[in-house]
Amino acid sequence: MTTTDPDEPMPAPDEPVMARDEPEMARDEPVPARDEPLTASPAPAKAGPGALARQRRRASAVRFWQRYRTHRSGLFGLAALALFALVALTAPLTVGSDVQSVTGAPGRPMESPSLEFPLGTDQFGRSLFGLVVWGSRVSLLVGLLATVLSVAIGALIGITAGHFRGWFATVMMRITDWFLVMPTLVLAIALATVMSRSLGTIILAIGVTTWPTTARLVRAQTLAVESRPYIERAKALGGGHRHVMSRHVLPNVMPLVLAQTTLIISSSILAEATLAFLGLGDPTVVSWGGLLQDAREAGAVSAGKWWYLVPPGIAIAVVALSFTLCGRAVESVLNPKLGVAR
Amino acid sequence: MDTHDQYGTTRSTEGLTSCPRVRRGWSRSSPRPFRGAALRLLAVAGAGALTLTVGQMTPLGPAPQQAEAKDDKQVLTVAVAQSVDSLSPFLAARLVSTSIHRLMYEYLTNYDPKDNHAIPGLATKWEPSADKLTWTYTIRDNSKWSDGKQATAEDAAWTFNTMMTDEGAATANGSFVANFRTVTAPSPTKLVIELKKPQATMAALDVPIVPKHVWEKVDDFSEFTNDKKFPIVGNGPFVLTAYKADSYVRLEPNKSFWRGAPKFDELVFKYYKDGDAAVAALQKGEVSFVSGLTPAQAAALKTQQDVTVNDAPGRRFYALATNPGAQAKNGKKFGDGHESLKNQKVRQALFTAVDRRTVIDKVFQGHAVEGEGYIPPRFSPYFWKPADGQQIAYDPAEAARLLDEAGYKKNGDGKRVGKNGEPITYRVLCHATDPPDKAVGKYLQEWWGKLGIGVSLDCRDNVSDPWLAGEYDLAFDGWSVNPDPDFVLSIHTCAALPATPEDIGATDNFICDKKYDELYDQQLAEYDATKRAEIVKRMESRLYDTGYMNVMAYPNAVEAYRTDQIASITKMPEAAGNIYGQDGYWSWWSATPAAASESSDDSSQTGVIIGIVAGVVILAGLGAFFALRRRATAEDRE
Repeated sequence: MTTTDPDEPMPAPDEPVMARDEPEMARDEPVPARDEPLTASPAPAKAGPGALARQRRRASAVRFWQRYRTHRSGLFGLAALALFALVALTAPLTVGSDVQSVTGAPGRPMESPSLEFPLGTDQFGRSLFGLVVWGSRVSLLVGLLATVLSVAIGALIGITAGHFRGWFATVMMRITDWFLVMPTLVLAIALATVMSRSLGTIILAIGVTTWPTTARLVRAQTLAVESRPYIERAKALGGGHRHVMSRHVLPNVMPLVLAQTTLIISSSILAEATLAFLGLGDPTVVSWGGLLQDAREAGAVSAGKWWYLVPPGIAIAVVALSFTLCGRAVESVLNPKLGVAR
Repeated sequence: MDTHDQYGTTRSTEGLTSCPRVRRGWSRSSPRPFRGAALRLLAVAGAGALTLTVGQMTPLGPAPQQAEAKDDKQVLTVAVAQSVDSLSPFLAARLVSTSIHRLMYEYLTNYDPKDNHAIPGLATKWEPSADKLTWTYTIRDNSKWSDGKQATAEDAAWTFNTMMTDEGAATANGSFVANFRTVTAPSPTKLVIELKKPQATMAALDVPIVPKHVWEKVDDFSEFTNDKKFPIVGNGPFVLTAYKADSYVRLEPNKSFWRGAPKFDELVFKYYKDGDAAVAALQKGEVSFVSGLTPAQAAALKTQQDVTVNDAPGRRFYALATNPGAQAKNGKKFGDGHESLKNQKVRQALFTAVDRRTVIDKVFQGHAVEGEGYIPPRFSPYFWKPADGQQIAYDPAEAARLLDEAGYKKNGDGKRVGKNGEPITYRVLCHATDPPDKAVGKYLQEWWGKLGIGVSLDCRDNVSDPWLAGEYDLAFDGWSVNPDPDFVLSIHTCAALPATPEDIGATDNFICDKKYDELYDQQLAEYDATKRAEIVKRMESRLYDTGYMNVMAYPNAVEAYRTDQIASITKMPEAAGNIYGQDGYWSWWSATPAAASESSDDSSQTGVIIGIVAGVVILAGLGAFFALRRRATAEDRE
């Protein structure tokens, strides 16, 4: 990140995102908090600009949380997510990677739920409870990475298209439109088919097919931000394209991007499950969608072995729902246009 | 995946004043327009519900007609999953295609469904000369092509001559005619084949005889797929009338078939790429027959009324094949198989680390027999088992020792490295449509992982492309064996290699072994059945030792049919045998329809009643909902 203006101070690198979209601040103050000088050297305890910035950030984080707290569904989603994250992160300790071993499977094939196997066993005799826990790692990881990829592409294209306008924007937006009208699932299936079957392929297939909505949103927000007077001031002070985009536009579209991220994650997880269910995932990796695919192939549906199908299905639904609830809540807190607590 | 409506919907501008009551609903737009909208919605919903009800009701009319139509026409529907590779008998190698060719075309001879001995087909009798180099077949005079022309010895002679002279026509069954010197038809009922060397398979030439007057117009046999003009002219028990790739194959009985016309009015092979969908269709009676059941499906269907499950020894072997370095007959090497697999010790080490017992117990759950030799035990004359000292038993320690001996040692990370210093990871080609492949692949990953060898499963719907190009290291492989094993033996000879890397050969895995080839020629020339069987067993022994093919299992034929649609059907062998993919047309030709049942009408009536009730309930529910909503908005207005 280079700044063209030598007087322009470097921002704090770990500045929380929420601090930037204080609606009042964005309206009243042309230069938002992020342009405060860096707190590289230990700032004096009081009155220093760094301390001020920190204070303001803390205050806005608290305000964010207070607003978020009023969304009961958002809290529910957050709690569910925290639970799933905990389960996924502690999986190596609780169930261990041995749970996916077929050679060391403890049970008989497709045992119904019992005390030993709370959710029964799969076709190899592995504990389904352990597999669902273990599968959460892959499902969440793929969902997150695919979303990061998707949002990164979307934000990059959206900001550049909004900033540069002209023929560049036209070309970018037509490409976006093209991706927008393409049926996402079909495109993802096509991509996953031609490439080798691995997690990377799935992430890529989801990432490159779901970005257009983000791009459109970010572009709209960019246009709005760039019409504000302080952008003009920044330009007058010698701020180049990169400076304007990374220092002024990006922070202002971040709330939107954040909300969009939480919303896209749920669809990414669903997409991962869909692709895995269609047999396009890596067959040797345990994921929720992969479990459903295994169940289908083993004939669990027609044989009525519900415990092979229901747990991964419910897990997918709950995680997707949680992310959606969180996303909605974040969205309504951060987006000043929504304004209202729902 | 579609999130683009997230910001497209109209946002409320009511501000912070909105009361909690609004939360439940979507009525953030101003109340007045909503009322009109609600009424409109109500009307639309009502209309929708009515349409729904009507939609449910309409089957009342057509249903009985359909049932009648069904009574008129007895259709035997068979669920299949394997794609047809070609409808041309000169190209087809897959089980589904060759089975259909059995139905479409008559072969010179057929196999008895009881004990597999050769019985008359298009030929009524056959006899060799004293030196056994000239074979004379008497062709029956009561077999007609479906376009009315007589099937004669001339058709047979033309078929064989085409395969002998045209490279493209020899693609599938070239091994049968490689040894033919001349084939002539001195009279319409007499076919004479002169051989270069004695050939043991003369009463088991599994070659469909095609009508000369139709096929002589074909220019390029390697391209012609025989699926453009329907019905396809044939003289088998059925005539193929329609075909759509991966959708259906429709056949009608040949009323003038010399052995007697089939009993069903139509035979349809319907595609279900998903096994569970096929089973569900069987449970509902949409298909009459399903094969390739998983253990769980078989167990579930056993308890179902009107369904019989057939679990019999199969004619297939299920193996893990190695790529020994793809090569063409002209000596050109191609493909990118791992160099370590050219080492016999490495191949044997890999197979030493495969626990076949577990494959039988866990993957097939007992619906298979542990495999060793190349030919399944069902063909007892040729069945072979390795001797004690020769046997490759499951022994991971021994496998590790063999690999060390071969010079593939572990590096610091515990991974074995190849000659180039890279850790070894084998690409295993698997059929995405074949559940056992993936399951066994998971085991391989762990068994070989313990040896320090990585496995990446490459599961595809269509494995042909990398397979033919030699771009794989190992592959899941399986062939259905004929009562005469010549064909499955021939696919491992050097003669089966493709002529150039661009050509397609009959070869299975580019195996080319001199000793094996010598034995192959010997067995082909041996007329004494016992002696020939001995040689075949020595071939199997040789193949086993080379480690090119590791037969893991002989899967059972696990299949099910509806007894309320099929009254009887011939298995092959009759005592305990398979129905789908027989060596002959016995099952579908012999199947007799069950007396029509009336139960289906009742169920459709119930369906209609349920539909009407559901429609009414939905209508009432919607009405109540909108009424409540209207009240809620009215309150909001205050």
